[in-house]
Amino acid sequence: MCSAIALATSELPLSLLEQHGLEDRVHDRGGEKEVRFYWQARPALLPVWWDGRLQVVKWGNRDRAERTLPPTGWTWRETVEDGKWSAMSPEPVLVPATFGYANGVWYKVKQGLQGVLVRDRTGQPVVFLVTEPATRYYRVMTRAEWMPALVGEVI
Amino acid sequence: MVGHLDADCFYVSAERVRHPDLRNKPVGVLGNNGACVIAKSYEMRAAGVKTGTPIWDAVKLCPTGVYVKRDFYWYEVLSRKMLEAVSRHFSPVEYYSIDEFFFRANAPRAGQRLHDAALAVRDHILEACGLPVTIGVARTRTLAKLFSDTAKPFGAVTVTDRDHERELLARLPVTEISGVGGRRAARLAPYGIRTCLDYAQAEGRLIRQLLTKTGYELWLELNGHPVTPIRPERTPHQVLARGGSLMGNVEDPTVLWAWCVRHTERLIEELHFHNVRTDALGVSLAWKDGESTAGVCKLPVPSDRFDELLDGARTALRRAYLPRKVATHMHVVAPELRRARGFQLSLFDPPNAKLDAVARVKTAVNERYGRFKLRSASTLYLPAVYADPANNFDICDVRGKVCF
Ligand SMILES: [Mg+2]
Repeated sequence: MCSAIALATSELPLSLLEQHGLEDRVHDRGGEKEVRFYWQARPALLPVWWDGRLQVVKWGNRDRAERTLPPTGWTWRETVEDGKWSAMSPEPVLVPATFGYANGVWYKVKQGLQGVLVRDRTGQPVVFLVTEPATRYYRVMTRAEWMPALVGEVI
Repeated sequence: MVGHLDADCFYVSAERVRHPDLRNKPVGVLGNNGACVIAKSYEMRAAGVKTGTPIWDAVKLCPTGVYVKRDFYWYEVLSRKMLEAVSRHFSPVEYYSIDEFFFRANAPRAGQRLHDAALAVRDHILEACGLPVTIGVARTRTLAKLFSDTAKPFGAVTVTDRDHERELLARLPVTEISGVGGRRAARLAPYGIRTCLDYAQAEGRLIRQLLTKTGYELWLELNGHPVTPIRPERTPHQVLARGGSLMGNVEDPTVLWAWCVRHTERLIEELHFHNVRTDALGVSLAWKDGESTAGVCKLPVPSDRFDELLDGARTALRRAYLPRKVATHMHVVAPELRRARGFQLSLFDPPNAKLDAVARVKTAVNERYGRFKLRSASTLYLPAVYADPANNFDICDVRGKVCF
């Protein structure tokens, strides 16, 4: 599982930060500022590269606001590949991240995570993280049984 | 004079070369299984994390620490780059370990101070490789290594006069000398030998009595008499091996053979990488009841070629095999390495151009399309191993230091 990501503020335009009120999600790590996007945060948000630009959108459907969407923030790669999302016109997106987080462990992410973006009833974007069964290494490192589908690397 | 160069928290520094966003942050490189920290940055060390700390304890000590999966291949690449950079300043250079070299330290240019030459290498390595290193220069290897440790990180210390030497030695406990562990230190303590200076000033005869010839040689080195020369021809490894757990209990000889073939293919990657060949091939097996067996097969000529090593592996496995018993671990070992050039071909085995070409094609295909894309069909008995994508990223292929 991956319950948070961190993205260096240098990667995130200030305007996005202000627009979404992310100021209180900014943390310091070794003298560098980063925005932490936690699944537990309200609202749960994630940065995505979508429509050719970096945007911040709603992460999942934890508040069950949408009946047609699963009440989580993740979906199996298999589910996506089996076409079970196809009625929602899903778009594959990149969720850029500097670090990923699972069970208290922050780990380096090279580029980012794979996401699936759909729209809710009102046409607003919602993103789900694509997951797959954890490799042995990831399982030992984080004690998690599943891991995010990473872009360009396997942990 | 002898120089000792040691990269500062090498694995972490190596990760920072390709991931600059890890700079100044607490970083831990995890070992082969992802279970423990095998290298930590100074920031993580300050939080109390040590080499060997399990990740679960490390996370408690240092919650903002960032963990990275080890990549020995990358570390090896940078290690060679470093070796090349040092060799441009000093000669000869001994490749002592993945991040430590010894070299004969002579001021390379007339009029240049030795210390300035040491600083120049240090700065050159930072610029050319992106790696911070520390250098110690002294009369012998043992002294140089002891002193470089005192100058970490990103330091350089050149000790040419005796007073300076004594001053530094007086500050170091004897356990700082590699080879003098707790047990040996305990033998010295009743004689009042606690610091390296005590050691150096003790009677040589007493040291020989207490710590045998090895201890005596260290004593000579501490007193400025070089015992071990710089060995530029030294191969970084005496033995290469590949293997590990069989991912469960294995009784079926076909599956054992499949593992043996897989490890042989991995071993060949290592031989190629280090530019060495082996005179023999060994297979060791650990059995579920706690017993272990091993078989070795001498090769007709030193080889790094699949067909020849496979013949050796077959014989070695047969010698190690116990019928109807359950195995849990296997290693395939190249116990006698030779530099790839300068070995003697057997009179009876002319070079086989065709098989050499096949080996080259296999290497080229795998380099281009990924590890094990082209592999022996015997390994088809191990679908689980090849289906796990993490296994393509050298899950337990150790180069350099190991985490247990
Ligand atoms: Mg080092």
